[in-house]
Amino acid sequence: MALDIKKFISRFVEEAREHIKRLGEGLDAMNRDSVDSENINAIFRSAHTIKGSSRMLKLSAITETAHKLEDVLGALRDGSLNYRPELGTLLYRGVDAIAGMVECLAKSGDGAALPPVDEALCASLAQAATGEVSAVVIPPPSIDLASDGRQLTAEPTSPPLATPAPPAATSAPPAQAKLSTSDTVRVRLAKLDELIKLMGEVVSSHATLRQRLLDLRLLESDASPQHWEQHRARLHHFGQTLRDDVQNQELLMDELHDKALIMRMLPLAMVFDSAGRVVRDLAHSVGKEVECAVSGAEIELDRQMIDKLSDPIVHLLRNAIDHGLETSAVRLAAGKSSQGHVTLSARQDGGWVVIEVADDGGGVPVEVIREKAVRKGFISAEQAAGLSDQAVVDLIFRPGFSTSAIITDISGRGVGMDVVKQNIVDDLQGEVTVETRLGVGTTFALRLPLSLAVMRVLLVEVNGLPFGFTAQYVDELIRVPHEEMLTVVERNAVIIRNEFVPVVLLADLLHAPKRLVKTTRSQAGTFDHGMLLVVVRVRNEKLALAVDDLLDERDMVIKPLPEHMRRLTMVSGMVITGRNELVSVLHAPALLELARQMRGQASRTEAASHANAGGAAYRILVVDDSFNTREIEKDVLEAWGYHVTLAEDGMDGLQQARAGTFDAVLTDVEMPTMDGFTLTSMLRQEEKYRDTPIVIITSREKEEDKRRGIEVGADAYIVKGDFDQSSLVDTLRSLLG
Amino acid sequence: MHVLVVDDDPFSREMTVAVLEDQGYNCQLAENGMEAMEILAGKSSCDLVISDMNMPLISGIDLFRELRSQGVTLPFILLTGDDPEGLQAQEPKLDACLFKDFSLEEILPQVINEVLSRC
Repeated sequence: MALDIKKFISRFVEEAREHIKRLGEGLDAMNRDSVDSENINAIFRSAHTIKGSSRMLKLSAITETAHKLEDVLGALRDGSLNYRPELGTLLYRGVDAIAGMVECLAKSGDGAALPPVDEALCASLAQAATGEVSAVVIPPPSIDLASDGRQLTAEPTSPPLATPAPPAATSAPPAQAKLSTSDTVRVRLAKLDELIKLMGEVVSSHATLRQRLLDLRLLESDASPQHWEQHRARLHHFGQTLRDDVQNQELLMDELHDKALIMRMLPLAMVFDSAGRVVRDLAHSVGKEVECAVSGAEIELDRQMIDKLSDPIVHLLRNAIDHGLETSAVRLAAGKSSQGHVTLSARQDGGWVVIEVADDGGGVPVEVIREKAVRKGFISAEQAAGLSDQAVVDLIFRPGFSTSAIITDISGRGVGMDVVKQNIVDDLQGEVTVETRLGVGTTFALRLPLSLAVMRVLLVEVNGLPFGFTAQYVDELIRVPHEEMLTVVERNAVIIRNEFVPVVLLADLLHAPKRLVKTTRSQAGTFDHGMLLVVVRVRNEKLALAVDDLLDERDMVIKPLPEHMRRLTMVSGMVITGRNELVSVLHAPALLELARQMRGQASRTEAASHANAGGAAYRILVVDDSFNTREIEKDVLEAWGYHVTLAEDGMDGLQQARAGTFDAVLTDVEMPTMDGFTLTSMLRQEEKYRDTPIVIITSREKEEDKRRGIEVGADAYIVKGDFDQSSLVDTLRSLLG
Repeated sequence: MHVLVVDDDPFSREMTVAVLEDQGYNCQLAENGMEAMEILAGKSSCDLVISDMNMPLISGIDLFRELRSQGVTLPFILLTGDDPEGLQAQEPKLDACLFKDFSLEEILPQVINEVLSRC
């Protein structure tokens, strides 16, 4: 046969998506308003078209479902059937089933790979078309899905309606709970025309500058000492004209830049359009009645962001349905409508776009979270009592926190709000906030910067070479005298506010070639006033990078690396300076990783050299709330052959100590949830730790603190300023005997 | 040999055209009955009309009746996704009425030949 059917599949998918969207919108309208015959007619046509087109491609499962849908819509159109909300739910199920199959087709590109038709759904639709809608009941999903042997999955399947449930896997199309995003950018012609028009102005402005060049040559040739005064006036005038031209050019460039950036923008509709369906799928799978309202889909964001927003938004929608909204029974008892409402909205707020996912559910149960945070050891009971409600609610963003009493197949599976926060904050440089009122509802707000391509960049110099850092990774800039530098395991560290921060020469880390002629400035920077340190931070890990000089700090356009250089993990992009110099923007997370590797090697060599040090058998518990301090102490101790376990604060330390057995404990003083003094005295009350050496390591150098340390039962007190590896190791050795 | 294809659904229209062009026919397209009548009233020569049934404004069967009342006697094949026998019964003067499905590729050329040989 000459005609290639497959060629038409993608064409069909494209068209069917349009019709599915129209069907969804039409059903929404039907749900909201009274039944409008024009609307019914329009969606009837969509169902009809899908039926016809799919039949021409022999996609019988789609044809069958669309046919049944068409019959119901036809009955509604003729008035032989009256609209009721239950009927709406059923129609949504039908549309969603078709959508699921169309997406499946889009993926496989082969009609034969389509799952068989959902007979039960079709039967329900057929029954509904005859007016027997009362017989159509959506079976409540079995609470213990796991007990019937089915795998719990995050994919909402479509359990059949109105019949005893056969295994869902055989009848449900694989509908992914994922919002769709696209690979191509559609640009409105008007936008492109504006850009081209602007280019024309830039070209003419360039011509003006050429003219200025001719003017200057003329001035040059006319220059003679006799007419100096007159000449200077002309020169002055020339300067002014040139300044005006440059200013004009700058305006054009700015505008050009803005317009070009807009080309990268996509409407949020890319992500929002499928939200209604995702919500219905999810709601159905947990047996809740939910209506989803979407607004602000026309707001445009950088496509890079659009791509990354899909997952967090799905997660928030899931969360709203799973944790936020109550079941119909609970809602009715609370005097609310049985149907829950989820709103997905976007609005612009200055240089930011705010996306909100709101539900009118029960609100976040603050007391439950407070209690759980204590039980899980995130905070102490006293601390919990002192926290404001908002602070307690914010605990849900902590890794490992989940409030669902039973683990369901939708959310609460280990990854949660912390991942949403990480996506929004780390990947998109945005913010996440949550507002909640008990009994009224919860709103999650994602705040996103409008453009990722322009960022604040700090330019530094190393061995005469410029490098950039994006501002979000720069924690602080400090100058530290050389004598304050500590040497720990053959490398440097500084103490910044009670925290050890490793110091690395950026030149060493990058193996930057030394320039024969150093600038005088950079020499002055290093020698006269100590080390100039750029402290970079990725989450709670810090690294101080010694640089020669600071060059500049301003908003710059970050250009991606060319394709063949993308694998350079150290460089996240390039910026061009005013002097047309290309500067690499360093990727802070990669620098930290590299520094960690170098440290690892150093520790191993060190460990080898201390192999006979005799610490090998001892187990040490290190308690410090600073990630960096913990890591450094761990490095030192491991280098001397000790086995090290880490704890993040006093409470964590106490739990670890109770759970295991340690030969010595090193603890910081100031820590959240439980300080080092309390930890020490608590440990002394434990049978196991009555005589175990406890060393307090702190930046406090007060006599009364030392006394207090001894009172609570510590064996030694090391001040961080005096800290070097030998004093720590010597102390431990003498205590462990 | 020129065929006028009338269908509001672009997908279905393209599919029909693909079948016809594969058989060596020249196709002209109309999105609805009004457009079809305009084309037929114009200068272009046309030997056959193939129209969808379910279209906005004017249905395929109404288009057929309208054309006949205007004295246009071109052979007319109606395509439908619903019930070809029923429609044929409703309007026996139709030259043919076919079910739009995947078999269109084989059946349509045969039917065209039959219809044209009858003229």
